[in-house]
Amino acid sequence: MSIAIEVQNLRRVYRASTSILGREKKEIVAVSDVSFDIKQGELFGLLGPNGAGKTTTVKMLATLLIPTSGTATIAGYDVVHQAQKVRESIGFIFGGERGLYWRLSGEDNLRYFASLYRLDPSEAKKRIPYLIELVGLKGRENEKIEGYSRGMKQRLHIARTLLHDPDILFLDEPTIGLDPVGARELRSIVRDLQSEKKTILLTTHYMFEADALCDRIGVIKHGEIVALDTPQNLKQGVQDLSVIEMEVYGIGSEVLDKLRAQPHVDSVSLEDREQKQALVIQSSHGSEIVQDVINNLNGYRVERVVVREPTLEDAYVRLVGG
Amino acid sequence: MQRTTTQTGLLYTIISNLRMFYEGSRLSYIALFHWLRPSTYLASKIIMPLNQILFFTFLGEFSGQNTRDFYVIGNAVQMAAISGIYGVTMSIGGDRWAGTLPYLFGAPSSRLVMFLGRAFFHILDGAVGVIFGLVLGVLVLGLDLSQADPLLLLLAIIAATISSSGLGLLLGSVSLVTVNVWFFNNTLYFLLLLFSGANIARDDMPAWMVAVGDILPLTRSIEAARRVAAGGSFDDISGLLTVEVLLGLFYASFGFTFFRWIEFQARRRGTIDRM
Ligand SMILES: Nc1ncnc2c1ncn2[C@@H]1O[C@H](COP(=O)(O)OP(=O)(O)OP(=O)(O)O)[C@@H](O)[C@H]1O
Ligand SMILES: [Mg+2]
Repeated sequence: MSIAIEVQNLRRVYRASTSILGREKKEIVAVSDVSFDIKQGELFGLLGPNGAGKTTTVKMLATLLIPTSGTATIAGYDVVHQAQKVRESIGFIFGGERGLYWRLSGEDNLRYFASLYRLDPSEAKKRIPYLIELVGLKGRENEKIEGYSRGMKQRLHIARTLLHDPDILFLDEPTIGLDPVGARELRSIVRDLQSEKKTILLTTHYMFEADALCDRIGVIKHGEIVALDTPQNLKQGVQDLSVIEMEVYGIGSEVLDKLRAQPHVDSVSLEDREQKQALVIQSSHGSEIVQDVINNLNGYRVERVVVREPTLEDAYVRLVGG
Repeated sequence: MQRTTTQTGLLYTIISNLRMFYEGSRLSYIALFHWLRPSTYLASKIIMPLNQILFFTFLGEFSGQNTRDFYVIGNAVQMAAISGIYGVTMSIGGDRWAGTLPYLFGAPSSRLVMFLGRAFFHILDGAVGVIFGLVLGVLVLGLDLSQADPLLLLLAIIAATISSSGLGLLLGSVSLVTVNVWFFNNTLYFLLLLFSGANIARDDMPAWMVAVGDILPLTRSIEAARRVAAGGSFDDISGLLTVEVLLGLFYASFGFTFFRWIEFQARRRGTIDRM
């Protein structure tokens, strides 16, 4: 299978001014040194915490940002020197609902972008209804998009990016801010694209989404790839772990520190859920240490203790730290 | 045989490109021109011109410097600047507010076509505005156009809208990077009122004011419109209008260069979605 996207030692440094007058400049290394290949027809996920450099990477691949150093080729074209060729072969969306013309209908938005992608008007006439149908906006296409829901706008973005039928797609957090049903609908569209053999680079913060969709996943942290494998193998990497989850009440950071200091405890995280808290502990000794943990929580209310198999999220947490 | 196919192929390409240009221009006009609600649109086409024409005509007449028709024609042609400056600026700067710049700059389309397309409908719309202004002048203020060749008048009007839209394209590009678009727009509109000869006869201006008027749009088309109204022929205005259109093209190409520079800077500095 041939390579659709080839990234070599890509690096991007931003200069941001730190004072009001902009005299003092600070350098921010957003992407430090990133290399990976994506095969034709592959769905590749890029995961990483906020600020890890995902969007910056996507922008460089989409010709919107010039790399500080390193190279990337898309369908064999260099993203800097053959930007025009690259643009013809790719489609991209940055999550969220901006980037559409609010005063135009959904259909007219697509018409305008069709003209930007030099789609022949008679071709656009056939393509636009097809795409409207594909993203499930049929019947609403003549309404101005200022009345669209967030999910509708994000689906319209997908239609927009498919106008010129690109082989390669960059989807930066396409499901951000969608309700579970909307996110599921969007995922099913992504799956359809996958079955059409599109090459897709997807970023997301939803681990189950990445697990369900991606052929391979790259985990990026502080601008560097810290793991790159199939979801199965990434999970395999934490097979030695088991995960203890319990519902607790009123736990503070000193307790967490105490837990972290226990033998066989790999990582501890705490998440607030209304009045209660969810305590998640990764350990290679699983159920054996449950009693120790509970002893350490002496005096706190503990409910619903579960020991389960690791998920992609656990693999992710171990990789990026938590 | 080969030749005919390439010829039809070429014709087809030209037609489909024209259709794309038209479609893109029309949609960008609707998408980005905020005044395009029936009420605001009519206000900009009737109430604003009427206000301005009445105001300056009475003011001018009161001072007794020039004839009533002088002011009516000057201010009617000046209406071209409403579309040319305000309309075109909105059409270029509007993408900043819509958040569509990444998708524009990431598209493979010709930037020149995209850029000029943003002005196209405002050129037509500006001409409509000037015609409205002249009609108001005839109806309300008794403007006398009996000597005027309508076709020549139309030429002068189109030249006025082309040149002011050219300046609008430059201001529109500037609006992609400045905070206060309206300050620039209002300043230029005001400068045009003063220096273009709409309200002060250029013969009465000091030399430096004449010089400023020489490099502004509208100056020559206003003069041409007055000559046409006085019964002038094509030869009387062709020189003026040629320079007027060239001036518009100069501003437009300056604007385009600036637009490309902004695009390049945005890619270099990573400001595409922070503009
Ligand atoms: N235009 C910019 N100027 C200066 N710094 C920037 C700019 N864009 C991004 N950064 C910084 O670069 C780093 C990487 O940002 P980036 O948007 O690529 O992260 P991300 O992985 O997409 O994060 P998120 O998950 O929050 O979307 C961050 O520290 C961010 O603050
Ligand atoms: Mg991001």
